[in-house]
Amino acid sequence: MSLAVELLRNLVKSRATVLYPFKDREKVHVPEGLRGKLAFYRDRCIGCSMCFRVCPSETIEMTEDAKGKRPKFYLDRCTHCQQCEDVCPTRAIELTQKFENFGFDRKEMMLE
Amino acid sequence: MSLQVEESIANEVRSFLGENLLEVKVPRPRRLYLKVKREDYKRAAKHMVEKMGLNHISTITAADAGQEIDVMAYLFGRGVEVMLKAAVPKMNPKIPSLTDIVPGVTFFEREAHDLFGVVFDGHPDLARFILPEDWPDGVYPLRKEYKVTRLKGPREVS
Amino acid sequence: MSAATIKVPVGPQHPALKEPENFTFHVEGENIVKVDVRVGYAHKGIEKLMESKTYLQNIPLVERICGICNTAHTVCYTQNVEYLYEKPIPRRAEYLRVLIEELNRIHSHLLWLGVVGHEVGFETLFMYVWRDREVVLDLIEALTGNRISMAFATVGGTRRDLTSTIEHKIRKGLDLLEERTKYYKRTVAVDPTILARSRDVGILTPEEAVQLCAVGPFRRASSIKEDVRADDPYAAHDEIPFNIIAYDTCDFYARIMVRVDETLESINMVRYCLDHIPSGPVRVRLPNTPPVAEAVSKVEAPRGENIHYVRSNGTDKPARYKVRAPTSANLAPLVQTMTSRGKYDVYVADIPVLLAGIDPCMCCMDRSVKFIDDSKGKKWVWTMEQLKRCMSKNVVRR
Repeated sequence: MSLAVELLRNLVKSRATVLYPFKDREKVHVPEGLRGKLAFYRDRCIGCSMCFRVCPSETIEMTEDAKGKRPKFYLDRCTHCQQCEDVCPTRAIELTQKFENFGFDRKEMMLE
Repeated sequence: MSLQVEESIANEVRSFLGENLLEVKVPRPRRLYLKVKREDYKRAAKHMVEKMGLNHISTITAADAGQEIDVMAYLFGRGVEVMLKAAVPKMNPKIPSLTDIVPGVTFFEREAHDLFGVVFDGHPDLARFILPEDWPDGVYPLRKEYKVTRLKGPREVS
Repeated sequence: MSAATIKVPVGPQHPALKEPENFTFHVEGENIVKVDVRVGYAHKGIEKLMESKTYLQNIPLVERICGICNTAHTVCYTQNVEYLYEKPIPRRAEYLRVLIEELNRIHSHLLWLGVVGHEVGFETLFMYVWRDREVVLDLIEALTGNRISMAFATVGGTRRDLTSTIEHKIRKGLDLLEERTKYYKRTVAVDPTILARSRDVGILTPEEAVQLCAVGPFRRASSIKEDVRADDPYAAHDEIPFNIIAYDTCDFYARIMVRVDETLESINMVRYCLDHIPSGPVRVRLPNTPPVAEAVSKVEAPRGENIHYVRSNGTDKPARYKVRAPTSANLAPLVQTMTSRGKYDVYVADIPVLLAGIDPCMCCMDRSVKFIDDSKGKKWVWTMEQLKRCMSKNVVRR
């Protein structure tokens, strides 16, 4: 019986869902501090390999390039735990607010 | 902070077992670690559950320690968590079961049997609990001899 | 058991079960006379896998033992490792851990209330409660960055801090949640559907609860007032007052009311935390390798007492890690509630309701060893767990 009151109250409320991704894409509420897709700044990296030692899911592999040692990321293995960002001494890794972590090709899932 | 309750429990067990109590450790408040011989494991547990009021058994588990397997029972009562440890040799890992004292430990002992091979004498039904039916006999996954191997297959981006 | 006994298997895939497990019920007519349990369908190999990863790498792995009670496992694990070091952590970090734990408890109990509505057939309650659960998920997302896998506690404290905007949001959200939870309590306590399916269903007497080692709200619904937060206080629970909720009707109705009242208590505890949290650092840096020791840590998860054991051998990887989740302790008393004995009759129609009564979390329970070894051959039945897990990969650290 008491739920009937709730039912009537909900009949006059507006729709709670958002027609993402076809329209209202910008209405999706993304909070600050969301642990989204990885971003890497090569100029800040010093090659200390701390991120490699802390990553729990083997997302990070160390390779070499012209400037020295650097990590390479397999984004489809990332669990978004943010431990690499925590330990990086120069803030070269950042977890952005991009929650759309997909690609149509496996090569898009590699962050060089 | 005073550790009176823990010390009094340790003293009561010591007066019950005498010299057979091998080790006593009180690392922090509300924790007491006791080590006994295999023969005194059930007697000590029975005394603690029935006479000393530690009637809740949290779990029974085992750990591989080289040539031996340590069987550990965790009892809780009077505000203190007591760990009762007994070592059994790996070649003959038999130890008495506690199901007639506290019937709720049946599943804990079945799990330890499945994963370590410890045989609990007196358990009503030591059937397979966690591993599948076609798992080979005599292979105990949580012992140190059983090694983790890497999956073969495509992992790299071509 | 007479020759008229029929065996009814339920599971591993069944509409009444949220997670795979196998029960075989021996029934005579409509009465259940015996229950056989077979678990292990959600094995992930976590205990063995933890021996090949470092202490810091194990934190996300421990979190993924269970989706709903992830904070309980993380806080228990980090506490355990801190006991090995024997170093205290900052007081502010302890208050933040209690904050996140109680938010997790509110979320878990609201989710369970919806599941009860679904099992009993009251779908409207399910929809309304899950809509209000979004409020607490938004609060958790604002505080930690993710709705479910919080990754908030770490070895040495917590990773993020509480700011004043988040605190303001939490207070507003709590007011809304309190009003809604009181409304559901009023509705559930007198609704004829729920009363008909929960009064005197699945009786577990207090003596049986003690003998069969029941834990958590399942134990408190049999009128035993025990709670890890009061008996063995950890984090900041020695300073935060709360009431232990116990009901004495020992049936499914008591289990519902215990959890609804615990939600209201948790809301009060979060408010107390926000009012009295001290200032200071939130993290202390600890070295990579703990001393050789062993430690036991207990935490009150939403489902009961969660106990972990760790043994270190001087390297940066644990030598043995044991997780005993509360559902595995509640299996034995569950079998007892589902068996007709003496003057208590249990019918086949009560099965889904009783299974929901212990708040089962089979993925919490099944995290013991399981291996994929490429030398074993192809007929391996574990593909279902491969879908469930996202972290357990059998690797050898280079």
